[in-house]
Amino acid sequence: MPDPIALPWPSRQGVVSVGDLLARTAAGDTAAFSALYDRVAPAVFGLVRRVLRNPAQSEEVTQEVMLDVWRTATRFNPERGSAHSWILTIAHRRAVDRVRSEQASADRTELAGARAVDVDFDQVADTVTTRLDVEQVRRCLGKLTELQRESVTLAYYNGYTYPEIAERLGAKLPTIKARMRDGLIRLRDCLDPAQGG
Amino acid sequence: MTDPDVHTLAGPYVLDALPAPERTRFEAHLKDCAFCRTEVDELREAAVKLATQVAAPPPPHLKANVMAAIDQVRQLPPQVWGEDAPAERRYSRRSVLALAAAAVAAATAGGVAIDQYRRRSEQTEANQRISAILAQPDARTVHGAVSGGGQATVVTSARANAAVVVLKDLPKLPAQRTWQLWMIDTSQQAHSIGLATGDETQVIDGNVTGKATFGLTIEPAGGSPSPTLPAAALIPLT
Repeated sequence: MPDPIALPWPSRQGVVSVGDLLARTAAGDTAAFSALYDRVAPAVFGLVRRVLRNPAQSEEVTQEVMLDVWRTATRFNPERGSAHSWILTIAHRRAVDRVRSEQASADRTELAGARAVDVDFDQVADTVTTRLDVEQVRRCLGKLTELQRESVTLAYYNGYTYPEIAERLGAKLPTIKARMRDGLIRLRDCLDPAQGG
Repeated sequence: MTDPDVHTLAGPYVLDALPAPERTRFEAHLKDCAFCRTEVDELREAAVKLATQVAAPPPPHLKANVMAAIDQVRQLPPQVWGEDAPAERRYSRRSVLALAAAAVAAATAGGVAIDQYRRRSEQTEANQRISAILAQPDARTVHGAVSGGGQATVVTSARANAAVVVLKDLPKLPAQRTWQLWMIDTSQQAHSIGLATGDETQVIDGNVTGKATFGLTIEPAGGSPSPTLPAAALIPLT
């Protein structure tokens, strides 16, 4: 029988990690999956909604993502990154694929990349951890050049392809590709590891 | 690997900003480029941090839906030879098929006979027919709750004019009652497609193409020419 699962989040001490919960999910433990859902669903739903905008579609895609996590938990390879990133990677890919296939480009014309950093603190699980993460990401995004930041955020939050972004920002294709990579490298170096999965 | 440009693609790839053909090409390249894989993994950890900024709690009912739905979704076996694609590369059609296959597997693995009166060879044949329907390129899966308890899953293929119906955890009916299955067309005309005694998986041949809704009703033993309302389940097929 699975152990009772400690409540997620607030203190890091004694809390089961997302990676552990995913490992137990892979063994078919539905209680672990339930706890995993509580841990990751706000990030998944928030991200999907940011990309898709449409609330009904966002719910649908979030459900698909969580079912995919359940179904493919056995395939997660911890050597290639944290469980949290793995889940958000699935979420982002699905949201982006959906926005490209179903939403008219008119829905995405708003240039919202730079403003995407606004977050409603009251709605997010109000924990010190989340706040610190948000502050840190905001600070690190601030260290990017304008073009790096716009390239990264328009792609990540709005689901644009790099040619769409190049056109929108009036830049050359290789420039945008390079800025995305440079921007992410700078972001990585600023964020550094030190956070568990 | 000789193309110097290919390494800059790790950025747009991690941000899911590559147009589909380039994404496919870069993923093929990743298989041969350990350096690129490492870079992708590292940049991905940075990219996903951007999600923390937009976190928002999902509506509470969503969790109930997800927890109910995992019941129908079989987990992949750990490690399959010849399949090294990470999960995030799976596409929705494959998920749908997996879901359908999972539903069927769950029904049969749960000790429910496809048809308890058939011999083994006939059961094998039924399995083959199920597989053939699931393999149709237009196969679609829908689920719905049955009032009173239980779930119905229907996989339809308009092309094959066939369907697989999986009934699970249905409430037990009195002896003089039966479940009856219907396909309802766009003009609300209900066509009977069979009877069911309880939890079972059925292959439906015909009466599928052009139908809008699957219906499940409780009828007197032997079935009725038209459904007794209200229906225990009505599941839109599109």
